[in-house]
Amino acid sequence: MIIPQTPLMVVLLVVLAPLFGALLCGIDRRITARAQGRIGPPILQAVYDTIKLLRKEPMLLNRVQIVYAYLHLAFMILAMLLLVFGQDSLMFLFVFAFSTLSLVLGGMCVRSPYSRIGSQREIMLMVAYEPILILLMIGFYLVNGHSFMLSAPMTAAKPMLLSLPLLFIGFLVVLAIKMQKSPFDIATSHHAHQEIVKGLTIEYSGPYLAILEIAHFYEMALLFFFIVLFWSSPAWVGIILASLSFFLMTVVDNAFARLTSMWIFKFMWTGALILAVTNVLWLYWASK
Amino acid sequence: MQIQEALIALLVLGPLVFGLLMLTGVKGVLRNALVAVAGVTTIAAGVALPFYSGVIVPDVGLPTLITTLGNWIEPMVILTVLAIGFSIRSWPVRIMALIQLGLCVIGLLMSRHEPLEETKLVVDSLAMIMVLIVSVIGSLIALYAIGYMNGHEHHAPATAASNNRFFFVLISFLGLMNGLVLVDNMKWLSIFWEGTTLCSFFLIGHDGTAEAKASARRAITINVFGGLAMSVGVFLAAHSVGSESLSVLMSKGPVVLLPIALLAIATMTKSAQMPFQSWLLGAMVAPTPVSALLHSSTMVKAGSYLILRMSPGLEGTPLAAVVAIAGAFTFALTSALAIGQSNGKKVLAYSTIANLGLISCCAAIGTPLAYAAGITILIFHAISKALLFLCVGTIEQSIGSRDIEDMGGLLFKMPLTTNIAIVGMISMMMPPFGMLIGKWMAIESAVHFPVVLILLVLGSALTIFFWAKWLGRITTTSYHEKYTIESISPWMRTVLAVIGIGVVVASICALPIYEQVIRPVSLLTFSEQASNINISILDSVSAFLGWPMIIVIGAIIMALATGALLFKPSRLRLPYLCGENVDSDETTYTFRSIADAPSTAMLTSYYLPLFGESRITTWANPLAALIILSLFGVLFI
Repeated sequence: MIIPQTPLMVVLLVVLAPLFGALLCGIDRRITARAQGRIGPPILQAVYDTIKLLRKEPMLLNRVQIVYAYLHLAFMILAMLLLVFGQDSLMFLFVFAFSTLSLVLGGMCVRSPYSRIGSQREIMLMVAYEPILILLMIGFYLVNGHSFMLSAPMTAAKPMLLSLPLLFIGFLVVLAIKMQKSPFDIATSHHAHQEIVKGLTIEYSGPYLAILEIAHFYEMALLFFFIVLFWSSPAWVGIILASLSFFLMTVVDNAFARLTSMWIFKFMWTGALILAVTNVLWLYWASK
Repeated sequence: MQIQEALIALLVLGPLVFGLLMLTGVKGVLRNALVAVAGVTTIAAGVALPFYSGVIVPDVGLPTLITTLGNWIEPMVILTVLAIGFSIRSWPVRIMALIQLGLCVIGLLMSRHEPLEETKLVVDSLAMIMVLIVSVIGSLIALYAIGYMNGHEHHAPATAASNNRFFFVLISFLGLMNGLVLVDNMKWLSIFWEGTTLCSFFLIGHDGTAEAKASARRAITINVFGGLAMSVGVFLAAHSVGSESLSVLMSKGPVVLLPIALLAIATMTKSAQMPFQSWLLGAMVAPTPVSALLHSSTMVKAGSYLILRMSPGLEGTPLAAVVAIAGAFTFALTSALAIGQSNGKKVLAYSTIANLGLISCCAAIGTPLAYAAGITILIFHAISKALLFLCVGTIEQSIGSRDIEDMGGLLFKMPLTTNIAIVGMISMMMPPFGMLIGKWMAIESAVHFPVVLILLVLGSALTIFFWAKWLGRITTTSYHEKYTIESISPWMRTVLAVIGIGVVVASICALPIYEQVIRPVSLLTFSEQASNINISILDSVSAFLGWPMIIVIGAIIMALATGALLFKPSRLRLPYLCGENVDSDETTYTFRSIADAPSTAMLTSYYLPLFGESRITTWANPLAALIILSLFGVLFI
C-alpha cells in the first residue's frame, strides 16, 4: 500500500479526507443515538452543520484567533499529507502536535476563563499522550529495519499489530483523547453530553468554528489511516481494525463520565507509558 | 594568512583592549561610542573570519613570546581566584585554587617544552561557527546593554559597581570566549576557562546586593570546581600523553580515559548540567544583558562547545554512555522543573539547561547525525535564547515584574517587544524551524540507546507544556483599535529588531544552513563512519526540508492576510462569562453576578506542584551526581 506522491493525489486527499472524517463523525453520532434509544441525525449531519456555520456572520474577540484557527487547519492538513505519503514519522508527529498547539493557543489568546481552562487542560492532555506517540514511532522504527519513514509500515509484510500489541493498546487511549471521548474529554467534549459550557472552542463561532470542525474531520481521517498502518497488508484487514477501534471509542464514550486532568496525566505516564516502554524494550531485546 | 592572524588578534585581543579602555573612566556618550565600536569591530571580525580561512585552515603557529607568556598568565589567573577566595571568605574556593596553583608550579618545573609545536590555533568549521555565535550575538547583547544599563543606573541598588567596570568585564568576556574557542593548547584553554569564570563572578555580583553576592559566590565555587577538574585533567594528560594539545589527546581516545573524564566534568559544570545547575539559576539576579550573555552565546556554551570538540574522542569509550545519560537526564528533569516555575527568567534558565543537556547528550552519542543535531541546537538555541532573554529583560524593566502571570495584555502595552518575544518562542517549537529539527535529529540519533531515548522522549513532551503556557499568556489580549509602539531606548529597540529578524531569517533558512554548514562539518568530523546507515537519515533531513515549507509558509501568509483583511470592529464580541458582561476598557473578566453586583473571574495557569523545585531536586540532584560519579566507575570496566 504505497500512495503515489502526485499533485492530483494531494488535491484528492485534501478534498476527500474531510468528507470521510465527517462521515465518521456522522456514524459515531448515529450509533450513540441508537444506543440511547434515539433515531439520531442523518449520516451527513456534520457536513450540513459545517456548511451552515460557514455561512454565518463571523464574530470574534480579537484578531489573533483567526491566525490560530488557520494555523490549526494548515498544520493538520500538512500532518495528514506527511502521514499518507509515508514521510518521516517524528516530523509527522511534530507537525501534528503543532497543529493541536495552535488550537490551544487560539483558546488562550482570548480573555475568556472557560476557553483558558479548556486550553490548559488540552496542554495537559498533549503532555500526557505525546510520549506514547513518540514511542510508537520508535516501535515502527525497530520493527521496520531501522527506518523512520512512515512508508516502511505501509509496505511491511508482517502486520505491525503482531509486533506492537502493547503500543496499540496505548495508542487506543491516545485515540480516545484525540477524539475527545469520555473519560478523556476534559478540554472540550465532542458531544454535548458532558458539559454545560464548551471549553477550548467556546469563543469560536461561525466560519471560524467551521474551520476548527473541518480540521477535526481531517484529524479523524488521519487517525483512521494511522490505525490502518497497524495491519497494512492486506489493507482491508487494517480498515476493519480501524472501524472496530472507532466503534470501540463510541462504546467507551457512552460508558464513562469524564475524569480530572491530573488523573489522566498520571494514568498516561504510568499505565499507558509502562505498556509502551515494555513493548519498545521487548523489541530492543528481540533485535539483539 | 596575514589577514587571518590579524582577524584572530582582533577577535581575542580586541575586546580586551576595548575593555581596558573602559577602565580609564570614560563617561556618557564617549563610553557608549566605545562600547559600540568594540561591538561592531568584533561582529565584523567574526563575520570576516570564515571568508579568510576557507573551509578548513591548517594550524597557525603562535609566536614563542606568547607561549612563554602563558606560563606567567596561568599562575596570575589562579592567584586572582585565590584572592577572590579570600575576599569572599570561601574555604572551598581557596583550597581548590591552592591545589590548582600547586599543579601549575609542578607543571612548570617538570615541563619539557616544544612550544611551537604545541601552541597552535584551530580554526576549523566548528570553531568558526562558535566564533560567529560569540562575536555576533555577544556583541549585539553588549550593544543592548548600552541602553539597558543607562536605565539600570537609575534604579540599581546603591551597592552596584560602576557601569565602566561592568562594560570592561562584559566586553573582555567576548575576547576570552573567542580565545577559548580557538586555542588547541589545553593550558591556554584552562586560562581562558578560568577567565570566563572570573568574568561571570564579577558580572553576577554586579548589583552588590546580598542576593547577588550569594549568587556570585555560588557561581565561582561551582565553576572553580570545574576549573580544578580541568587543571587536573590537563596535568594528567600532559604527563600521560606527553602533549598539551586537545586534538592530540582526543586522537589517543580510549588510552587516556581519566583526563577525558575530568574534562567532561569540567564541561558539565560550565554548562550547568544537573547537579551543578544552581549557579546558572542564581545568575538571574544580574542585569538582563548578563543573563542573556551567560545563557545564550558565552559561558554555558563554552561547556557545550568543548564537549562537542571532545565528541570524536569520546566515541567508542565507556565514558560516552555515561555522558549521554547524564545529558538526557538533565534534559528531562530540567524540562519538568520549568513547568513548576512562574518566574519567566527561571523558565528560560531551565530551558537553557535542558538544551545544553541535549547538546552534551548528542556529543556523547557520537554519530554524524547526533553531532549534526548538537551543532544545530547550539546555533539556533543561541539566537533564540538571546532574543528571549533580552525581551524578558525589556518587559521586566517596564512592567516591573518577570512573573509570567503578569504578562497578560502585554501585546497592547508593549506590542513591539511582545511580538518579538512571540517570534522567539515560536522559533523554539514550530516545525520546521531550527530548534525542532535539532530535537528531531537528537531523538532519531538516540534510538539505539533505550535509556537515553526514553529520557529524551519524556523531556520533549514536557517542553511543550511550559512554552505553550507562556505563549498563551503573552498573546492574551482584548481587541484594541490602535496599537502604539512602546518607548524603549533606541539601542535596545535596534538590537531586539536585529536579533528578531535574525531569528526569522535563520528559521526560514534552516535548510540551507543545515545543508551548507552543519552537514559537511558533521560528515568531516566523523569521516570514518561515512558509509554508516546514519548518513541516510542525514539525507532524509535534507529531503524533508524541501517540500512542505511552501505549504506552511503559504498557509501562514494566507491566515495573516485574511485575518487582517476580513476583520471588522463591528464583529467584535465580549467573552462568555456565564452572566452579563460588565463593559470596561481594562478588563473583560468582569460580569454581573448575584443581585447585579459586578464579579471578576480570576484564572492562572497550571503550575503543577508535582514539578516543584524542592520536590524534584531533592532526589534528582543526588541521582545526577551519582551518574556523574559513575564516569570514574566505568574507567575500571
